Amino acid sequence: MTSLNKVERRKSVAERSPSVSYTPDVIPHLAGLEKPQAHSLLLDECDVLIMGTGLVESILAASLSWQGVDVLHIDNKTCYGDSNSTLTIEQIKSWCQEVNGGKIQHFEDAQVYVSGELSLPTSKYKSKDYGIDLTPKVMFAQSDLLSLLVKSRVYKYLEFQSLSNFHIFENDSFAAKFSNPTSKEEIFTDQSLSLVTKRYLMKFLKFVLQDNNDEDKRQVLTENAKVPIEEFLKKKFNLEKSQINELVYSIGLATKESSKTPEALARIRRYLTSFNVYGNFPVLVSKYGGPGEISQGFCRSAAVGGSTYKLNTTLVDYDPSQKVAKFSDKSSVRINEKLVVSPTQIPKFLQTSYNEITEALPMKNINRLVVVVKKDCKEWMSNSESSAVVVFPPHSLPSDNSKGIQALVQNGGSGVCPDGHSIWYLTSFEQDKAKAKLDLQSALDKMEAAILRESSNNLDDVLGEEDFVISERGTPVVVNSVKLGKSLQNFVPKEKLEIICKLGYVQQTYVANDLSNVLNPTKDNNVTLRKPKDCGEIIFTNMPSAEISYDGIVSECKTLYSSITGADDDFFDVDFEDEDDTFDGAGFHQQPQTVSTIKANALTDDENAIASSDEDDHNEPFGANEMEL
Amino acid sequence: MSFPNPAKAVKLVLLGEAAVGKSSLVLRFVSNDFQENKEPTIGAAFLTQKCTIGDKTIKYEIWDTAGQERFASLAPMYYRNAQAALVVYDITKPASFLKARHWVKELHEQASKDITIALVGNKYDLVEDENDGDTLRKVSVEEGQKLAEDEGLLFFETSAKTSYNVNEVFVGIGTKIPESSAPTGVQQAGNEAGRIDLTTGAASTTQQTSGCC
Repeated sequence: MTSLNKVERRKSVAERSPSVSYTPDVIPHLAGLEKPQAHSLLLDECDVLIMGTGLVESILAASLSWQGVDVLHIDNKTCYGDSNSTLTIEQIKSWCQEVNGGKIQHFEDAQVYVSGELSLPTSKYKSKDYGIDLTPKVMFAQSDLLSLLVKSRVYKYLEFQSLSNFHIFENDSFAAKFSNPTSKEEIFTDQSLSLVTKRYLMKFLKFVLQDNNDEDKRQVLTENAKVPIEEFLKKKFNLEKSQINELVYSIGLATKESSKTPEALARIRRYLTSFNVYGNFPVLVSKYGGPGEISQGFCRSAAVGGSTYKLNTTLVDYDPSQKVAKFSDKSSVRINEKLVVSPTQIPKFLQTSYNEITEALPMKNINRLVVVVKKDCKEWMSNSESSAVVVFPPHSLPSDNSKGIQALVQNGGSGVCPDGHSIWYLTSFEQDKAKAKLDLQSALDKMEAAILRESSNNLDDVLGEEDFVISERGTPVVVNSVKLGKSLQNFVPKEKLEIICKLGYVQQTYVANDLSNVLNPTKDNNVTLRKPKDCGEIIFTNMPSAEISYDGIVSECKTLYSSITGADDDFFDVDFEDEDDTFDGAGFHQQPQTVSTIKANALTDDENAIASSDEDDHNEPFGANEMEL
Repeated sequence: MSFPNPAKAVKLVLLGEAAVGKSSLVLRFVSNDFQENKEPTIGAAFLTQKCTIGDKTIKYEIWDTAGQERFASLAPMYYRNAQAALVVYDITKPASFLKARHWVKELHEQASKDITIALVGNKYDLVEDENDGDTLRKVSVEEGQKLAEDEGLLFFETSAKTSYNVNEVFVGIGTKIPESSAPTGVQQAGNEAGRIDLTTGAASTTQQTSGCC
């Protein structure tokens, strides 16, 4: 398998990387206990320099160190996470200043309001009680990153919580059609649906969960490769707008109209196959912060594996002929192989190269609005959960949003803010920045009105006959969520929502919304594979995608890993051991719920997938299979 | 597979200047009989060691800095939910004692309020045979005690080399840790809201990586 050219020089990482399983020459000391002195005090060379401690870069650092590559990992900030950071309110304030001062590339137009209450010496709440994610994300239970967290043991540094409530806003009201289902079938057993509709939904469910290699399914997918999902669902399964919206935007978390059928189906399938893996929920969130927290976990793993960490450090100069890098702390280090550079950490002398590389690539805006409110929003969450997702399909808001809006809501139970408060992360995929702001504000208004109404102490005031509706067919009459179901049109809140912090900003990325250029990267579409002309050692990474899940992250890491080592077949190919696995697995934690028959089917599907792809981590992000069609 | 009396998991973090013997101290505690050639565990998230004190059993999860403290790059994650900390210095190196003060301050700022901290002056073996005359000792017992008293810390002088007082540190911490301390340990049981153990579900969905089970 190895057909590498041997030349008379120090073997590159690619050359040193064997294709069979490999144990590092020097096994790190137990759990990262101090390294030999000489190494810790005198760092004069490394194999790979990584700039930026974002999620992708952190996973890369860990993957390289566990294959014995010497990594120096730096960040120009004083905290971990780069564009994926989880920041306190004070950190948010200075971050906004830096963004508006043009110091953080690919972020712009930052606006922040912080309640004066926070700066009072007597205040119960402090800046560091809050952890605001710059790139909020949720993790599907069946996903490649989750598998990697388990395999790498990084999950041990983290805490995960379930998220089962997905609310959808339509016809000027919120519906929570998928609250607290206990099985995949139940996801669709909304009592207000007619039997006929239910039958069509079950038929669709069966189709989606069918093995992708099934000939009939393949054919349907091929035939409909270019057909918008809305049309497909309507024609093939007789579904109505309400169900289509829910399938596409709530379950599928699509961001725009007329997604191509295979991609949309892959997104829907992602939810369904994730359901019941750990329990009656499709996604998880990490406590104390999302990608910011996971980045820290992988950085720790990398450190245990031997990487050196230096925060608050920038690369000042690099001499390609001598391969010597000079840093802001006056140190210089010889870089034997590659320099991996995050777009927010590009040194001046590389800016021209980066501009040339990215010139021809289409850039996307991600508009975000983050609001910290004095409400725990329990009304939107399942018992014992502390997060929920709210989606606004296109054209559902008074601002007539042409793109969808997704919101992640997390309260004190998830460790990101004090009890009784919550953080609302709203994301718009609208490209016109002014319009995006209007849409976000419009969505925020609706959420505000909803939570004020639902948390109102006097429910009799707000609940009326109209909360109990008769469907068009005269069948079942229960509005699924009594409290959430009512139209908001006539509700006039008696109180105002107390806001602790409000933050708006725009992030840019070259990653496509459907992740196509991450899942199938080429020289023409992906920053990482476009090599600068004058400096072959430099590899740029991507800004975070607009995707609300972690899909695409592992693919990006593997692309980077291959660019450095030549192949990705030994990516995290390490048998991590535990001190005492039995203890941890012994009935201390929540056990998976009873396995439904549908789950068994789903597993069979995945086993087929393994057999065909012969891959260890078979939980491909959405679209990986379908994209090939 | 269930344990009749589950051990209470306690996250313990190590702090201290390089070369004061943090690792030796922990290695001494973890492998009492000091096996020179004990197979290292590859990629263990942290070291674990059970410790029985009276009728309670504590399972220490010991987090080393993994070198991330060298350039002041410890992550918030490191301090989070730590119920105990060892701040280690070398009694023959005054600079390491200064650094210990810094770490104590850092812990007060970053860690939870009810964290139990032990201040540990290591390398006692270097001074135990000495008389009062020319001594290698540069940090007196009194200085250590004073800092511990001022800051409300446990205080020990130890030798990782001879194992003098090493177990006492961990027993001392275990005794002082509040019984009712909130279930915040990273490996704590899953009665906390929505806490998911990723190994349970994953075991049925991912392939086994090795044949040893």
